[in-house]
Amino acid sequence: MTARPRSSRVHGDRGLTHHLGSVVLALTVILILVPFGFTVLTAFRPREDVAADPLGLPTRLTLSNFGDVIGRMNYGVSVLNSLIILICSLFISILLGALAAYPLSRITARWSLSVYRIFIAGATIPVFVLIAPLYLLQRELGLLNTHAGVILVYAALNLPIAIFFYTSFFRQIPVELEEAAALDGAGLMRTFFTILLPLLRPVTATLSTFLTLTVWNDLIIPLVFLRSTELRTVMVNAYALIGTFTIDPTVLFPAALLGVAPLLVVFIVLQRQVVAGLTTGAVKG
Amino acid sequence: MAPALALYTLIVLYPLVQGARLSLTDSIAGGPGAFVGLDNFLALADDSRVMRALGITVAYAVVVVVVQNAIGLALARALYRRIRVQRAISVLVLLPTLMSAVMAAFIWTYLFAPDGGINHILRALGLGTFEQIWLGDPATALWSIALVNVWMFAGYSCAIFLAGYMSLPSELLDAAQVDGARGWRQFASVEWPLLAPALTVNITLALIGSLKVFELPLVMTNGGPAGATTTLSIVIFDKIFGGEGNFAYGVTISILLLAVVVVLASTTQALLRKREERI
Repeated sequence: MTARPRSSRVHGDRGLTHHLGSVVLALTVILILVPFGFTVLTAFRPREDVAADPLGLPTRLTLSNFGDVIGRMNYGVSVLNSLIILICSLFISILLGALAAYPLSRITARWSLSVYRIFIAGATIPVFVLIAPLYLLQRELGLLNTHAGVILVYAALNLPIAIFFYTSFFRQIPVELEEAAALDGAGLMRTFFTILLPLLRPVTATLSTFLTLTVWNDLIIPLVFLRSTELRTVMVNAYALIGTFTIDPTVLFPAALLGVAPLLVVFIVLQRQVVAGLTTGAVKG
Repeated sequence: MAPALALYTLIVLYPLVQGARLSLTDSIAGGPGAFVGLDNFLALADDSRVMRALGITVAYAVVVVVVQNAIGLALARALYRRIRVQRAISVLVLLPTLMSAVMAAFIWTYLFAPDGGINHILRALGLGTFEQIWLGDPATALWSIALVNVWMFAGYSCAIFLAGYMSLPSELLDAAQVDGARGWRQFASVEWPLLAPALTVNITLALIGSLKVFELPLVMTNGGPAGATTTLSIVIFDKIFGGEGNFAYGVTISILLLAVVVVLASTTQALLRKREERI
């Protein structure tokens, strides 16, 4: 008899804290998202409107802010530069990373573990430690102010992460799979390309997503190694805006959105690949 | 393996050794320079700009690590039991993480401007007395930038903590409930100790990331006002590429940064791992 009201009081308590929790959660999420919403809304408002009422909702919409910024950032060329650097460096990191991770995960000798550790240690080195000597090296090799130079730097700097990803993946794959292939007379390289490579697709998708973010969003490497505007990436040419038009939201906001937009497109495409990779893996498994 | 090793040696290992060698010379703009032994390192201690930047960097990192993880953990705990909204919200709060620091800095540079978004909101709410020149006042500039850093990565911390929550054995949580442990008690005695691995990952990542912070202060304040946001990375960049071309000394400061990152990250990691074992 007494248990009943007690349990309902307990329930009531839980309900109250639960609701309070929901309110705090909703507020936090709103606080995190408001700067985005504000950016999107303001970016499409005419400059006079924003100046008159900075917090107002849009009454008229315009694309002219975007038009201005696209011109000032040399946007088309910048996107192309970013894409060239991204795709080439990603390709090299992935190819070399997977090819190196395979023996590193299969050879159990002590030197193999040491090599692996040396690679992985690279992930914690701040880029600032390398940037001056790298600048001198590239100057010697004539790679300064070329895409090739920047691509090589990214490819090498991202190698530790790629090796980490692939090594942990290969360690999960049973050796029996390769032994069976060897019995069938397939050489090491053939085993790698025909048996293992298809299995790598999901982990490659995850790795690419991660590296795409790092490379696309980076400022310092292209800022240091690329001098000409027509070679520079989206981030560098966006950064160049700040000196001239410091705090005008109708310049800063469209620039911010233009900087993120291609990434969002790439992500929608890659996201599908991730899902596809996971589902095919599951079906075959 | 050979091509990977060759590329890695050329672009990472060789420059690392070159950097160490440079730090022992007085090379300007990468010229050969004369061997000066440890002079550059000895100069660090007397360089008030570097020592101040060191203090600023560490203070910034501590605040970011604590606040970012507190918010991330609170979010993860709130989402853990709200299964219906969990996925959608955890993706939404991850959005700022996808952004580059340059783009985030653009948005917040306006929000923090003297005539910008935050001051307008304060005025509209009748809180005009709280208006600040956020990025122009040495007392608020660094913490304003720290706020942007937290904004960017709180969702990331949340995702890692949420993964930690997902790996908790649900029987254990149920058993705790039966024993009458709920709310704060359940969190403190059951969830918090069991989340130790997620905490280790989160703190290590946030610590390494915030010690290296560069783009946010570069874009938002360029190290100002009066050097209040000059982090170690800003000093390094300035020494090497800011006209002086003092490669040798810049690299020396970068070795200091590397030492700070390695020492702080490995100490906290060791402490956190020990804590994991105790639990």
